[in-house]
Amino acid sequence: MRLNSLIVYILISLLMGCGENKIHHSKDFIFGTLIDIKVYGESKINAEKVSNEIFNEFHRLHKLLHPWEKSLITDINIAISQKKSIPINNDEVITILRSAQHLEKQTQNLFNPSIGKLINLWGFHSNDYVQKTIPNQEIIEKLVSSNPSMESIKIENKVLKSNNKNVQIDLGGYAKGYALDQAKKILTRNDVKNALINIGGNILAFGKRGERDWLVGIQNPRKPNALATISLKSGWAIGTSGDYQRYIMVNNQRYSHLINPKTGYPESKTQSATILMPPSEDSGTLSDVFSKPLFISSKKNKADMAKLLNIKYFLIVMDDHSIFISEDLNKEINWEDGIDKKIITIL
Amino acid sequence: MALIKKLLQSYKVIKVGDWFVILLFCALIIFSIKSLWNLPKGEYLEIYKKNEILATYSLNQKITKKINGIKGVTEIMIDNGRVRFSESPCPKKYCIHQGWINKANQMIVCIPNQISISIIGPKRGYDAINY
Repeated sequence: MRLNSLIVYILISLLMGCGENKIHHSKDFIFGTLIDIKVYGESKINAEKVSNEIFNEFHRLHKLLHPWEKSLITDINIAISQKKSIPINNDEVITILRSAQHLEKQTQNLFNPSIGKLINLWGFHSNDYVQKTIPNQEIIEKLVSSNPSMESIKIENKVLKSNNKNVQIDLGGYAKGYALDQAKKILTRNDVKNALINIGGNILAFGKRGERDWLVGIQNPRKPNALATISLKSGWAIGTSGDYQRYIMVNNQRYSHLINPKTGYPESKTQSATILMPPSEDSGTLSDVFSKPLFISSKKNKADMAKLLNIKYFLIVMDDHSIFISEDLNKEINWEDGIDKKIITIL
Repeated sequence: MALIKKLLQSYKVIKVGDWFVILLFCALIIFSIKSLWNLPKGEYLEIYKKNEILATYSLNQKITKKINGIKGVTEIMIDNGRVRFSESPCPKKYCIHQGWINKANQMIVCIPNQISISIIGPKRGYDAINY
């Protein structure tokens, strides 16, 4: 009897071991954040190969698009600040810039990747964000009134020029989402069926985790726990803009990196905005880009902004901890224990 | 002398098949110890440095661990069921300000020093967190 139970025990632990091995988990630090890749149901060699290919692709993008360390983007920015034109022999970057122009227009300029000067002024063009003062109001106002916009950028015959020397491209709200879409291509090319890619909270689900969909937690902006969980179906992407990852504290006041391009100041009434985008070629990019206008727009305009951008699944946490959630997302979300339902408003 | 004689006799009683069973069980025991050594019952802590698991610890202890990251030494404090970053060489100390975590799936990341800790538990958790 004792012998039997020992054998059963050992068999169970062996089986448990097998179950765990179905997931290959790897991490790296790129784009100034933690990247987490889970591959389900592939051999270890395959999973490792595809994960490494994805990490390499992210390193390549990081170097290509970096907003303040030498990259093609900083070369472009130097040329713009000197009112010079610059040849761009990189079709990918041209496509990215055109897409960013289009998205700026679509979001009524609330996603504005040309405000690098403002972001730098607030101290976010560094790895440490140790700035202890807020920028001079006059300088902010002057920059805002000079109206930097991607619209001022003209690309003809692979030569870029802008007539606004205050334009400085910063693809910080775009690159991680774009990277998710690139990861999707790599998974498809390698015939990997099931994976979950997490770039510092921008997450793309690919296939399933065995019998069930991938399950994602939505971060509580002020606690190290999830507020809720949601099943992410294949091809869906989730993105969050939050004031808790990159911010500076000045006189006990929090100033996040999410700067309203129309005021030049960080939006302070919102703690986080999370959106889910349905499967499409650019679902990753859209989940990254569209969370910004939802975060930045004023409380009364948030629902209209969601409608304008056709965002059906969103969750917003305000500075008084109240929560706005879309009807569609509310149907599918699972709140964690201890969430007071009274603070939730369904839009 | 009598005792040794008795032992030798009993040795003869163990046949080839018995040896096979004994060896098999020894192998199984070694295998089980190897695979289960770092998995205490319930919740445990995983410490990652960049992309590798540096260590796995039971949460049921009171201990402080020093870990070398890319910037310097991070100190992680385990205190009977909960864990926190207690020292870090990073400039903003976001990781320390996160305070204690004590539930499965909770995670704290120190991006500058590239150290992350997460609590793994028996309860089915989510696969990623959207932070």
